[in-house]
Amino acid sequence: MISTQTLVFWLLFLTFVGTFAAQVARRVQLIAAAPNTFSVENVPFRGKRFLRDVVLQVRTIRERPAAGLMHAFVFWGFVAFAGYTAVEFLYGLGIVDLTRTRVFGAYRILLVPFAVAVLVGITFLLIRRAVVRPIALGAHVSAESIVIGLLISALMVTFLLTFVLPEGSSAAHVNWWTHALVILAFLALIPASKHFHLVLSPITVFLKSPELGNLPNLDFEKEQVGLETVKDLGSKMVLDAFTCVECGRCQVNCPAWGAGKELNPKAIVLQTQDALLAGERDRKLGDVYTEKVLWQCTTCGACENQCPVGIEHLPILIGARRGLVSNGDAPAYLGSMYNNLERRRNIWGLGYDQRARFVQAAGLETFDPTKHDVLVWLGCAGSFDADFQKSLRALFDILRARGVTFGVLAKERCNGDPAKRTGNEYMYQELATANIEDLKAAAPKRILTSCPHCVKTIGSDYRKFGYDVEVVHSSVFVEELTRDARARPDGDGAVTFHDPCYLGRYGGRVDEPRALIARFGGEIKEPVRNRDNPYCCGAGGGLLFADKEEEPGSRISDVRFKQLRDTGANTVVTACPFCSIMLKGAQASAGADTQFVDLMTFVKDRL
Amino acid sequence: MILVIAEQRKGTLNRATWETVAAAQQLSGLTNMPVCVLVAGVNVGPVAKELAAAQVQDVVTVEHPALEPYTPDGFTAALQDAVTQLSASHVLLPHTYQTRDFAPKLAARMDRALLTDVTAIKNASGQIAFVRPMFQGKLTADVVPQGPAPHFVTFQIGAYRVDQAAKDAAPANVRPLSVTIDAAAIREKPEPPFQQAKQAVDLSQAERIVSVGRGIKEQANITLAQQLAEALGAEIAASRPICDAGWLPMERQVGSSGQTVAPKLYLALGISGAIQHLVGMKGSNTVVAINKDADAPIFEIADYGIVGDLFEIVPAIIAAVKA
Repeated sequence: MISTQTLVFWLLFLTFVGTFAAQVARRVQLIAAAPNTFSVENVPFRGKRFLRDVVLQVRTIRERPAAGLMHAFVFWGFVAFAGYTAVEFLYGLGIVDLTRTRVFGAYRILLVPFAVAVLVGITFLLIRRAVVRPIALGAHVSAESIVIGLLISALMVTFLLTFVLPEGSSAAHVNWWTHALVILAFLALIPASKHFHLVLSPITVFLKSPELGNLPNLDFEKEQVGLETVKDLGSKMVLDAFTCVECGRCQVNCPAWGAGKELNPKAIVLQTQDALLAGERDRKLGDVYTEKVLWQCTTCGACENQCPVGIEHLPILIGARRGLVSNGDAPAYLGSMYNNLERRRNIWGLGYDQRARFVQAAGLETFDPTKHDVLVWLGCAGSFDADFQKSLRALFDILRARGVTFGVLAKERCNGDPAKRTGNEYMYQELATANIEDLKAAAPKRILTSCPHCVKTIGSDYRKFGYDVEVVHSSVFVEELTRDARARPDGDGAVTFHDPCYLGRYGGRVDEPRALIARFGGEIKEPVRNRDNPYCCGAGGGLLFADKEEEPGSRISDVRFKQLRDTGANTVVTACPFCSIMLKGAQASAGADTQFVDLMTFVKDRL
Repeated sequence: MILVIAEQRKGTLNRATWETVAAAQQLSGLTNMPVCVLVAGVNVGPVAKELAAAQVQDVVTVEHPALEPYTPDGFTAALQDAVTQLSASHVLLPHTYQTRDFAPKLAARMDRALLTDVTAIKNASGQIAFVRPMFQGKLTADVVPQGPAPHFVTFQIGAYRVDQAAKDAAPANVRPLSVTIDAAAIREKPEPPFQQAKQAVDLSQAERIVSVGRGIKEQANITLAQQLAEALGAEIAASRPICDAGWLPMERQVGSSGQTVAPKLYLALGISGAIQHLVGMKGSNTVVAINKDADAPIFEIADYGIVGDLFEIVPAIIAAVKA
């Protein structure tokens, strides 16, 4: 005979679980309806990352240690309580009563420190959200988050009360029911709120690409043109949209947002979510996010890299750019850059006779694998920018002094990075496949370049065409080459180093440039936003050419230049030709007397 | 007969027409064929009268309501009829936007080739050759038209000078020519013409430019550069930092984010030569750079480089120019 109480509990249980399931089903349907973009290659890496970012909460804690640790308390508490909740529900539903077993008794006692930790954590987070109100959490205090926070507190309090209230008393009875009802209410609230992340984020983190900014090549045979409307968004993007926890790490790390522009990566994810739930499958993405915003991204990758729940912003932003470019909707400044790429195969629109002159003047040989250790890739900057060519000459001097033999290709063209990041996939593939053909013919074992964009594009993106070669940045190569060099005693003291996004964040090479600077007498004054989370110079994603669109005063380069200047160092060491162009421009506009020196020139002058 | 197609809009003659008249007169001298000028549109009488001052055989007016406003279909129909009626051997046009719009169609309609952007006419061992640039001006070709007349030729703007066109004291004979246009066959419905916000300063046409960079140090020193510009009859321009600071207006900025210029003389004062600036002035004929930093990239592309203090050098140049 089932008691009335058990029956009532069953009814409540089915109602709330049903509500939960219905909401979840809606989202699962939207994910299932999207083109499948899930992939699970490289499971060992994904497993390690899962352990680090989900179980150990490293990414959550890293940027915000206090709030992150408090979040970890709550998270670990939730996991610890899973068994307790299951046992109590089995009992409430009259299935089996395990509450009187000795194991459960011991488990309950073990849970006490977890409950205290959760209470401490949630109280901290509630105060932070309601009183401190950091900008990343949005302009308005989310009432729903406060309710959820209070429900979590109630769970812990009712649990702890079980140790105080006499067993069998009506107070204990009410306490049990309160605990159970709070859990049920919680279930019903989760799917439509940002707290759905506690169900989805472990999956999303696991499914996140091991590669930052992973954009599969478009297949033109299949008439792929990029993302045009909401229904083109892939399944991982839809999953991302429902996983967002609205913490705003992407927002506060975005250089465009930091410079006062309209782009906010968090808004991109939430707008995706709104459009999906509103069923706006045919709405144009240029309308959902606005075209202006889509062209403000430098593709620095800060948003995606800082996201603790596994969201990938770049495939959406660049995917939507592809959709725009396919329809001829690129901004005018890109039009002239595309013309340069089309006619002259380089971003500046200059003739390759200039590169030939530099190759001759610098005494460079055409690469021959039987004769040369490495192939040096000059790139658009190395081929044409007289300023950057000085630092390349410094690199050549270092190589020659250390007995490294090297050569260059007879002919180069842009690696395609500016086309790829701005969504001109056709142009990118044309340039990439032509370069790969030349590189395969030259057959180098290693490619050395001083441009981080060339490192990333040739070394990583070209793999998607089946071309796999080791591409190494000059900072890494020269660091290895000069380990026996001794620091000169007359070091010239304070310098600051600007990590290029494509070297520090994409490439993870943050120690080698620093080792070189230290080895040759520089004392690094670190700027805010450094190492693998630098603040972009503003050149990436085609924005090098968007100068006119950027109002003076809101330029990303100006913001970064100020951060570098605030270190107090009067010399900025750079390791990317485009960072150098942007920051020197900002310096000239600011009328500052800051000195710039490329890392290779810095090393050569002191070797 | 050599037929020049004049271009006019609302009674105002496009001056490039006179350049084409000059070209026609040269061709006439080489071939002993008379020149006739055709002007098409509505109420073209005053324009025809203006053109009658030219030393030509006659001026033909083609009036038809379907010719106003301009449409490529209307003009092609009218001119095909006129060229046939007049049995012209050569049809000469100024290489304007309007010509580029309808001339290929007109030539194709009459199954003839169109020689575009011609810069000169010469007698190549007894044959008349039209000279035109190829490969973005890297080569020039002498083209001799083959096959039966008429031959269609357009002339690059500025290849002939307006004042080269010979005029007669007595006006040429003006006569009307009627053509048939099937108005129903005109497919274009033109909207009223508009001009996009025009740049107040068009540096792309300047022959001489004095350009200022950060090395000028202070806003007050811009005056020095302006004095030099006045002395040289040059336009003043700047690199980005100067315009950022508001020392010169934005429309005077040269570079990838400003204007692209190709003057005969580009004088760079205190410009270091960031590549974004260089790509905006790479087409300059002669680049003179003054900079105190001998390592400045601008010297890589300068034809003449002066390493030194521009505040000493510029006054000396001004004095020398004025002397």
